[in-house]
Amino acid sequence: MVVLPVPALTETAVRLVPANQFSIEQLTQAYNQTRVDYVVPMPMNAARLAEYVRTYDVDLSASVVAMDGNEMLGLAMLGVRPHAAWITRLGVLPAARRRHIGRALMEALLTISDERRLPLTLLEVIKNNVPAYNLFVQCGFQPKSEMLVLRRPPGPPAHVPEGDVELLEREGALALLSERSDFETWVTATDSLRNVDSLQALQVRLADGSRGWLVFQIQKLRLLPLLLTRFTLHTQAGEPRYVAEALLSFLYMLFPDLDTQVENVALNEPHLPAMLDLGFIEAFRRIEMYRVCPGL
Amino acid sequence: MPSILVVEDNQDNAELFRRVLISRGFEVRLAPDADNGLQMALERQPDAIVLDLGLPDADGQTLAGWIRRIPALAATPIIVCTAWPEATARQMVEAYGCNGYIPKPINVARFADQIAGFLPQGQN
Repeated sequence: MVVLPVPALTETAVRLVPANQFSIEQLTQAYNQTRVDYVVPMPMNAARLAEYVRTYDVDLSASVVAMDGNEMLGLAMLGVRPHAAWITRLGVLPAARRRHIGRALMEALLTISDERRLPLTLLEVIKNNVPAYNLFVQCGFQPKSEMLVLRRPPGPPAHVPEGDVELLEREGALALLSERSDFETWVTATDSLRNVDSLQALQVRLADGSRGWLVFQIQKLRLLPLLLTRFTLHTQAGEPRYVAEALLSFLYMLFPDLDTQVENVALNEPHLPAMLDLGFIEAFRRIEMYRVCPGL
Repeated sequence: MPSILVVEDNQDNAELFRRVLISRGFEVRLAPDADNGLQMALERQPDAIVLDLGLPDADGQTLAGWIRRIPALAATPIIVCTAWPEATARQMVEAYGCNGYIPKPINVARFADQIAGFLPQGQN
């Protein structure tokens, strides 16, 4: 078993092991145990974690698990893309906290990121998680932006405007994403969306010439459509709020029975007012943070 | 005997809820995730559902939305039990058509009475 150097740890009993030495079931169990006392624990099953690893380009050989004997104490994962890394799923079991294990996990991932000469390392922290935020600052991260996680319960739109609408499958959705030039986080980046199988898109042209598109995913439980998610809204012509209201109204006319979750909506996202108009509510906020590779 | 379906992924919490509710004379079934929760609710309609919002396969909100679409379950009381901040939890309860909210950690002395308060007259 490979053991990584542990710069922040003074306890020799604790060692860091690459995450690819464990099954996805073992990693899932450890991840869930690190979150049992979180206000927003976001538990996962093995299938969801496997999908998460694939969608966000998590490199399990560059991710680490803290071990004491045969006991998993914590873990942290690293997403890797050509010009950036992303730290995610960082957590330490409640009974193992205050032993600098979180710091050791962070330093191990940053060492890997720096050794690969990746210019930027990103992460997200739930707003008001002060201990985690302080740890990230100590590790050299700076806040970049504040983002919303939004929900919308099932229900039809109040009204549907006049306009021409086209529903596109995955290839069409991917073609539209190539037009993006707006703010992207790791989760909402085109690189993430390319890894999603079940993308679709709506394209709309309204009577006044306004036009735009919405890329989205329908997540299923078994074969049951459950959740609309991974929204990307884009206005090609016209007022973003007006175009987004039209797109969302058409979407909920087509899928009135589906719940919605949208992650990482920037506070200055021009389509946000339309989302609020259509009944989206704030679940919680995240802060995106970044660290520049020293020497680059 | 009123039947309560508890959808809760944390085994310690689920077992605590079960013990407290059984002591009040309720029949309790436990579901560790949304998939099992939906199946169990469909197989035998409970008198009330205690629902965690953070589940490993689909969120509690999503499950609540689905339950409300099923005619046989549309009126079944759903009581959200979560550690989310109260204002957010109450907003989710209202938006997703749930009937009430009990914060975690629960008050063991009051929990069964709180659940009973959501049952129709004559069942509590």
